[in-house]
Amino acid sequence: MVALLHKFIEGLKRNWKLYDEATRQTAVESIEFELGEMENIFGLLVLGSFIGLPAPPMQITLDLLPEMEDHFVLMLNKVDMANEPISNLFSVFDIM
Amino acid sequence: MAKNIFFLGKGGVGKSTSSALTALHLSQQGFNTRLVSMDPAHNQSDIFNQKFSEKFAKINENLAVKEVEINKWVQTYLKDMQSQVKRTYSYLTAFNLESYLDILKFSPGIEEYALLLAYQAIRNEEANADYIIFDMPPTALTLKFLTLPDISLTWLENLLKLRLKILEKKEIISRVKLGKKEIETDKIKRKLLQQIETYRQLQKIFRDPNQTLLNLVLNTDKLSFSESQLIVNNLKAYDMRISNIFLNKYYEGFDIKPIRQQYADYGFQILPQSDTPLLGVPKLSAYLMQIDSFISF
Repeated sequence: MVALLHKFIEGLKRNWKLYDEATRQTAVESIEFELGEMENIFGLLVLGSFIGLPAPPMQITLDLLPEMEDHFVLMLNKVDMANEPISNLFSVFDIM
Repeated sequence: MAKNIFFLGKGGVGKSTSSALTALHLSQQGFNTRLVSMDPAHNQSDIFNQKFSEKFAKINENLAVKEVEINKWVQTYLKDMQSQVKRTYSYLTAFNLESYLDILKFSPGIEEYALLLAYQAIRNEEANADYIIFDMPPTALTLKFLTLPDISLTWLENLLKLRLKILEKKEIISRVKLGKKEIETDKIKRKLLQQIETYRQLQKIFRDPNQTLLNLVLNTDKLSFSESQLIVNNLKAYDMRISNIFLNKYYEGFDIKPIRQQYADYGFQILPQSDTPLLGVPKLSAYLMQIDSFISF
């Protein structure tokens, strides 16, 4: 009987953990999307010269360049999704 | 700390001669003086009848002269950058791809930054001198050099603002997801702050008349006068102020009034046209003896 109760409590705990993780994930989904966009803008500003945008004085870009690898990847991913901006927003805000 | 004196103006107005005369005058007054040619045309070698290099050469007890090779500074800087990028992407050596990064050393548009690096190095090396006189390149490059700290700061401060917002969002996400604040050391933020610190210091030095004097050289002709006004207005937009006007190649009979009126608030030095070319220390010294007075700094 005790063992059964123990098993039940453990199951409850596990489910609660899953539920907690899922709700936390949903809570930050839109913030994560916004963060991605902000990092993309940061990348575009610093590395603009690579795609023909006005850029900061060259030494600023060159100084930050070794740390910008993730931004390059992010920018490339954003290009992939660039032709579906509205559907992206709809999925982030869980519309329909 | 040594006081900077920059000589600027249109090409050919006599920036090199004015700066050489000022340097010689100050050294004869007993001030420990350095004269640095930042102009790629390098007229100081001709004026002093002596070949100068990147190393200071003594002219007299108190005066030493050197010429800055901008291209050398550009190459040094880009090589340094190139090796930094190569270090980050060192795994490329596995495919022999690192040589493609060699192209970095041909990046254009960093002459003004190379000048700034040379300036910083000289200022640190010669901190004990009384005056460091800079014979500057013609207007366009000089203005880019003097305004580089301001323009860079505008970019850097805005990038930092965005970076801080990004870090704030990252912190919120980690707090919600992990239930605790994750302390992150962001290399990009650190680099931005480092650059901001350097440029703020330079901006402060360039704007402070106790540390930096901007001497504007012009001639009696209309073109150099127009360009001088352009320089004054350009610098004013960045809170930099010309200290003294050097009217070079002045001749008797020239109506000086309009120029004096225009620049009433500035120090004024007249350098009359010389009958013979001012080449060599004896000629420069003789010329200095002839002129009535020399502006004090």
